[in-house]
Amino acid sequence: MNFNLDFMVATFWVSLTGLGVTLKLTFIPLLLATPIAFAFAIIRLKKNQGFYQIITFYISLLRGTPIVLQILLFYSLLPSVLNALFESLQIELDIFSLNPIIYAYIIFTLNSVATLSEVFRSALLAVQNGQLEAAKTIGLTSFQAYVRIVIPQALVSALPNISNTTVNLLKGTSLAFLMTVKEITALAKLEAAYGYNYIEAYITIFVIYVLLATVIQLLFGFLEKRFGRYKYPRNREKENLYA
Amino acid sequence: MKRPFDFWYIFEAILDLLPYLVSTFMMLILSILGGTILGSILAWTKIRRRPLATGFADFYIYIIRACPPIVLLFLVFYGLPEILLRGFGIDTNHFSQLFFVVITFSLLFSATMAEVIRSAVAAIDKGQREAALSIGLSDMQAFIRIILPQATIIALPNFANSLIVLLKEGALAYTIGFIDVMGKGILMIGNQYGAHALEIYIALGLLYWSITIFLEQVFQKMEMKFAPDKVYRVEKRSEKERRKHEF
Repeated sequence: MNFNLDFMVATFWVSLTGLGVTLKLTFIPLLLATPIAFAFAIIRLKKNQGFYQIITFYISLLRGTPIVLQILLFYSLLPSVLNALFESLQIELDIFSLNPIIYAYIIFTLNSVATLSEVFRSALLAVQNGQLEAAKTIGLTSFQAYVRIVIPQALVSALPNISNTTVNLLKGTSLAFLMTVKEITALAKLEAAYGYNYIEAYITIFVIYVLLATVIQLLFGFLEKRFGRYKYPRNREKENLYA
Repeated sequence: MKRPFDFWYIFEAILDLLPYLVSTFMMLILSILGGTILGSILAWTKIRRRPLATGFADFYIYIIRACPPIVLLFLVFYGLPEILLRGFGIDTNHFSQLFFVVITFSLLFSATMAEVIRSAVAAIDKGQREAALSIGLSDMQAFIRIILPQATIIALPNFANSLIVLLKEGALAYTIGFIDVMGKGILMIGNQYGAHALEIYIALGLLYWSITIFLEQVFQKMEMKFAPDKVYRVEKRSEKERRKHEF
């Protein structure tokens, strides 16, 4: 077997058609998970008994098991559960003809909720208590203080971790082929299977994933700089000096 | 195609799966060894700050961290035999899957370990080394007797995290036909034509979860034992560092 460069180029373009699916699989679960994860983080910080236990259990479970296993488990469990649910609610919907990407969204969302809520919790902890107290002394309500003072600061310190979570999720989407979702890895595997060109196909998607991860990290790096400006007033002075 | 969910089968499956934990741990231990050796070399090149070597180490760490484990696994599984055959005339046909799995996860683990080791060594005050040298220890002695023991304790929490991530990523080894706990579970499902799939997945989940919790507890105990005064500080620091080393 010879190293087939033409095949690599061809696979590159074929795999790129899966780029949209991969990006959807990364960002839709992230967006869906964010509000839930935030609520979980607040509940864990407030140590609301009952809920606290359940959420801690959930996070520990989702972070303590491999994501492959979660995918396999939910993919064999969800269809029948949803079917039973829809039947009992008498909704006419054929679960088994649904696009498998729906299941992928659900599983990655469940998983991201667990990781993100930990990220948010540590970010909220990183904001000094004095910030909240100071906000209250000048007459803001608790809600206002959170929305205007605490959360913007927490978000900045959470950005590097959110970036990591995003890259991890991107890497995790490579497992969606187990659910017959046609994303980058699945397409490359399919292409490779025709002529047993596995090496070339995997090198190609290796490159694609590294590029994608780079773009995501650059994006978050930019956001960090943009929103973290208040942290470095000295730099701003310097900029003004030399401007 | 509705089969009754057999609750008690979960425990039967766990009993059937337990012996296969040996291969899981074997794979883990070998990968930790390989990853730590390679990671130490990478960390060492980064600490010495030779521009070219550091650049290469950074590039390697970046690439490995950005690549999905399954892609790397397939790449090693399909690519390495070719390289060995063409380059060294070694026929890998009779090699066990363990070989490829260990290579893959050593590569993955080395990237995380490099950062863990580097940050741990960097966290040691420079005065420690200078003091050691001033009382007549050689450079090597100063490193082994003074810096290494302290760095090891600092590295513990991050090492524990990386280990747990490795354990979870290791579950992917079944995709190339390696028979560890996960592989055995998948085999069992196949042998029964998909019956009891759910029970077996739950059994696997319980196994992995208990190993994770066990590892967390063990490492927490170790931290308490070796650095009781530092635990609070390390906890606080690792909240941030932990995420950094997770991927």
